[in-house]
Formats: sequence, structure tokens, C-alpha cells
Amino acid sequence: MCPEIVDEAAQVWFGPQHVSAHGWATKLTIVGDYIVECDPNAGYFHRSAEKCLEFRNFQQGALIMERLCMLEAFLAEYPYVKAVEQIAQLDVPERARVMRTIMMEASRIHSLQFWWGQFGAELGLFAMTLWPWVDREYFLDAFEELTGSRHAVSYSAPGGVKYDFNEKSIKMLERALDRLEDRLPKFRDMILRSPTFKLRTKKIGLFDAAQGLKWGLSGPNIKACGIPMDLRKDDPDPNLAYEMCDWEVPVTTNEDHPGQCDAYDRMSQRFKEIETSASIIRQLLPQVPEGPIIDPKARAKANRLPEGEAYGRVEGTRGVTTLFLKTADKAQTPYRAKIRGPCFASYYSLKHLVPGSTFADFVVIFGSLDPYPGWWDR
Amino acid sequence: MGVGTILQIDIVGWLSGLPSWIYLVISGLFSLVWAFFNWIWSIVVWFWALAISQIWWLFKAIVFPGLVFILFSIIFSVWFTRKVWGRVQARRGPFHLGKYGGLQVFADAIKLIGKEIVIPDKAKRWMYRILPSLLLIAVLVPFAFIPWSNEWYIADLSVSLIVTFAFLTVVPVVSLLSGWISGSKYTLIGGFRAANNQFAAEIPLIISSVGPAMLAGSLSIMGISQAQSSLWYFLLLPVNCVTFMVSATVITALVPFDAPVADSEILFGWRTEFSGIYFTMTYFAEFAKQLLFSGLIVALFFGGSYGFAFMPPVLNFIFKFLIVLFFMILVTSSFYRMRQDQVTHFCWKYLLPLSLLNVVIAMFAIVYVPGLAQLLGIGG
Repeated sequence: MCPEIVDEAAQVWFGPQHVSAHGWATKLTIVGDYIVECDPNAGYFHRSAEKCLEFRNFQQGALIMERLCMLEAFLAEYPYVKAVEQIAQLDVPERARVMRTIMMEASRIHSLQFWWGQFGAELGLFAMTLWPWVDREYFLDAFEELTGSRHAVSYSAPGGVKYDFNEKSIKMLERALDRLEDRLPKFRDMILRSPTFKLRTKKIGLFDAAQGLKWGLSGPNIKACGIPMDLRKDDPDPNLAYEMCDWEVPVTTNEDHPGQCDAYDRMSQRFKEIETSASIIRQLLPQVPEGPIIDPKARAKANRLPEGEAYGRVEGTRGVTTLFLKTADKAQTPYRAKIRGPCFASYYSLKHLVPGSTFADFVVIFGSLDPYPGWWDR
Repeated sequence: MGVGTILQIDIVGWLSGLPSWIYLVISGLFSLVWAFFNWIWSIVVWFWALAISQIWWLFKAIVFPGLVFILFSIIFSVWFTRKVWGRVQARRGPFHLGKYGGLQVFADAIKLIGKEIVIPDKAKRWMYRILPSLLLIAVLVPFAFIPWSNEWYIADLSVSLIVTFAFLTVVPVVSLLSGWISGSKYTLIGGFRAANNQFAAEIPLIISSVGPAMLAGSLSIMGISQAQSSLWYFLLLPVNCVTFMVSATVITALVPFDAPVADSEILFGWRTEFSGIYFTMTYFAEFAKQLLFSGLIVALFFGGSYGFAFMPPVLNFIFKFLIVLFFMILVTSSFYRMRQDQVTHFCWKYLLPLSLLNVVIAMFAIVYVPGLAQLLGIGG
């Protein structure tokens, strides 16, 4: 930057009270209408979850985890459960594996519906906020029927799941899926073919796959570049049931800029994610086998774990969510738990993505990465 | 008395004259007050005579097409907007207070008026206090020129169209100033965006209104509306009507062009720091502007009070007015927001040539096709 420009520059704090800053503060240096420097500041959402985990036993830890990201609660609690199962060497019954997978995919759909409504509001169309949120209510009702809670579900437990499917909960889940599959193509037309949506999102926040991987992005933000990087395929989890159904990793390739993705591609990628999740649930629902939902001795086994360390990870809605767990011998609580949320990377990638764009586009770039503050401050 | 007593005061004489002194002072003051009162009274008498002689005009200016009616229609349009938006967005809109939530807006207004006024430290206080009222006045005055019917109107100037646009040009200046003096960067950005919107859409707006003015041979909104007794100008100038409506949307800063008050980007634009009654005024000014443009569209393109013979002229106007208002609200609830450079781009690249084109075509048709003007029953 030449010094004259710096003289004219103004610094604007975007957040933490800003409506579309979701609770964090980004310092923007703007010259005219253009952002020349972006300084993300994590730390406004810190709840010391890692320290909390050190004071909770292995049954309670998953509850802390799901509170990090209430939108994908089924997915968020899983890495902890996975790590505990790995250290305690618990076997998960077949029925629990399938049920877990179904609920995780339902959670992914509902989280993406929430994101997409929020993105619509950030682009100025409030109707597009409320329409997907109406559909999302059906999923929340199904969650409530199954677990008794709409958001803080606490479903998976070490060695299985806590609540069994009943006829009504399956029916409600199917009703939610019916509504989703009925309305998704219409929404796709309304969003991806809208001229004003294209104006706002095409060529905005453009990065290529190499940059994205260097910044540590994962999940839909990388898949939108055309790279089929998905933990569900790359690292098949024995405690989940993704191998029981037939599905492809959804990717988006844009002819205009192959190997790169802009906000528009990220939106269409997330539509494909929803479709894939819906098809996985559709395939798994008839395949739920009979049997127990939890290993009866699991609770006793998970009471005190042997010394060990494990690395639980899952392909979350926003990218790879991992948890590193280390235990001392016969301890009731973890010695150390380290959470790696996907959004820390996407938030700090703004530092490279934003400079050069206009002030109005900052919201679009930010929103299109699907940020959730719980995932970077923990 | 001898020499050397000249300087002595004749205290007895002075005391004996005291009552007359006091009388003089009091009567002088009294006559001053009396004169002042007479002056005021003469003004009152003059004004009363004027008011009695102009009682009809006064009624119109204050009650029916005037202040009270406009304020109630603003309140109605707030309610109507919220209801239509609610229906579009798969919710119900206000419904708790009154029938169909009709009292909700009054409750909101009372709540807003009762709120504490917080003036930021860096704001210029007296401008902060004056600008919202100025904005509301600048928007409310042009309603005098709206021809609700041939009888129900407040004023009719031979150049009322131009005066209306002149008043509307004040609005972005006030927006820019209030963004500037609020002492916040977000409001400053919003103020400049408001100015940008006006800058983008004012020329298409005025050129679109040239068409009707030219066909009617008049710059008075009343004259233009009366010239459409046989044929609505919408049929002759359809493109102009559309460009006028779109430019009106840009100037009013409604969604897709609401960059000046983009809530997800710059909070509430230039209105961010206004609170309480000041916010209410700016909020009402926006709706008043929307109503004003709906009225202008009806008067310029949809035949004013002419059209449906089975209704009285005023109802005719109000019916069309509501339809145009509904259409504007519907548009505002169905698009994503455009960036401010895209707004300028759109207005200058598409709206301006289109509005010019329709005017030019209508002009050539009338000049070169003999008898067309008589056939269509248009003057000018």
C-alpha cells in the first residue's frame, strides 16, 4: 500500500454487536468503498470448552461438545464419543451405528437449512430466511420426538445411542424429508437462477483449491472447488454406517473458473450436500436392523478409561471436526481434550480473501463460508 | 433660599409628583402591551377571516387529502407492508392488537416516541435534532400537489411536477447530512450510499416523467392527470411507467436497491444512530416517500381519478393508489439486495436509455403520424 492510501484509510470494526457479525469482531481497513486490510479477531466467544471437558466425566463430555455448535449437535458430539469408544475399545451395536448415521445426516440437513436462511438474510431477502426455517421446524420436531429436545439432543453415548427410534419419530423424520424433497428443487431455482443472487455472489470470494487447503479449509468450502475431500469416504468410520448405502461425494465444478470456487459455487455445493444427506437417510431408514441400541456394559466401561489417547473426527457440516483426547490411567476425566473446529480456519482465511473486495461484499464472503462462532473460540 | 442650595432636591415637591410618575410609567407600559395585543388581535382577526373565507381549503389541507389523511395512510401503509411481508415470508404479520393487528402500529409508534433519545458524543446535537423533522417536512409537502380528484386537492401549481422533484431532491441531502453528523462510520457510509442512489436514479425518474408531461402539455400534476380522461398514459408510455416505478424504488431505497439502509451490511445505514422520536420520523418519511411515489405513478400514468366509472373519482384514485402500493411492497419482498455500484450501473445502463427511448418514440409517433393526437384525445 502506498502511504497516500493509508492516509485516507478508515478503520471500521465489523462486530461484535453487528447483526451479521454473529458475535465476533473483524477490523476492516477501508479506503473508499474497498477493503484493503482485514484483521479477524477470535476470542469474543470463548467459553473455555476444552478446560470444561477436563472436569467432566466421559458421559458428560459429549454434552459440552454439542453446546459448541447447537446447529449440528448430532455431529458435534460425535468426535468425543468416538474418541472415548476408541480408548475404551467399545463395540457399537449395528442398530446404533445406523441410527447414529441417520441422525447425523438429518442434523447436517437442518444445519445447512439454517445457514442458507441466514445467508439469504445477509443478502437482503428476508423471505428466503423464513422459508427454509419453516422446513427446518419439521426436522426439529422429529428431533424432539426422538430425544426430547430440539437442539441440545445428547444422542450418542459411548457404546451406542441413548434413545431408540419409535414409529412416530420415524414417521416425523420421513415427513420432514418429504417436505424437504418437495421444496428443495423450487428453492434451488429460486436461489441459483435469481439474477440478483447471481449479481451478488458470482466472482465474489474467489479462491482456488490449493489456497483453500493451505488455509486449512475443509468440507463444502473445498468440495465447491471440485475436490472430493470427504471424511465419510476417505476415512470410513467403523462406528458409523456410511458403507451400507450407495452415495457419491458431491462436488461442484464451475466451467468459468475450474478448480476455484466463489460464493455462488459454495451455495450450489451446499444444495448438493443436502441432497446427498437426504438420499443417505432414505437408503438407511429401511435398513435399520433389529437389536440393542447400546452395549449394556458400555457405561461401566466408560466410567474409568485406561491410559491412552485417541483422535475422533467427523465430517461436519462446516468441515472436519476433530477432538484429540488423552487420558491418564483409571481417570474419570480426560487429561487433555483439544478441539479443532472447522470454522477457525474459515474465519482466518478472510484475512486473505477479503482485501480488494468492497465493503458490501464482505458480508457475502463471510456468510458463504458458513461461519459459526462456537467452532473457533470454543 | 440662598446661594448654594441649588443642588438640593425639593424632596417634598418630588414626593408630591410621585403618583403621577408611577401613573405615567404604568400607563406607558400598559399602552405598549395594549398595542402589542391589538396587533396580535388584528392578525387573529385577519387570519380568522381568511380561515372562514378559506374554510374549505383549510379543511382539505388539514383533514382530508391533507395532513391527517396522509398520516393515517402512512400508518396504514406501515401495517399493510408488515402484513404483506408477513404473508410473503410464510408468517402472519402483526395480529395481537386490534383486528388483524391494526393497532400494532399505533402501539409501536407510542413505544418509539416514549423511548429515550440517545445522542452520540460525536454527533452535532442541533443538526441531529433538526434533520429528521426537515426530512419529514420535505417529504410531506409534495402531497399538496397530489390530485386525488378534480375537487379534492390542496394546491395546484403550473409547475407542481418540478416542485415535487425539487422537494424530493432534499431527501438524500438530509440523509447524507444526518449520516455525516451522527458521528459514526456506518452512518457515514449509509449517507453516501443514499446520495449514490439519488445520483443513480434521479435522471431516469425525471426523464420518465417527461413523457406524460409532454403528452399533456403541462407541468402540473393536476393538468397531466386531467389530460388522461380519455386514455391512460400507461398505454402510450408503458416502458416509461416501468422505469418510473423502478427509479422510484431506487430513490425510496427499497429492497433490491436498499443499499443505504442495508441492515446486514451497515446496520441501518444513515438512520443507525437515530433513536426514539427521531427514528420514528425517518421511518415514517420512508413510508411517506413510498406513498408519494405511488400517488405520482397513479397521477402520471394511470389516469389519476379517471377510469372506473362506477366509483367516485376519489375512490378511483385511492383504489389504483393501493394497487400500486401493493405492487411496490410485493417487489420489495422478493429480491436480494444489489450492491451500490450495481445500482448505479443498472440505472444508467438500462433505465436511462429505456426511459429516453419511450419518450422519443411517442414524440415521433405524434409528430409524424397525422391525426394520431386527435384520435387518442391527447393535447400538448
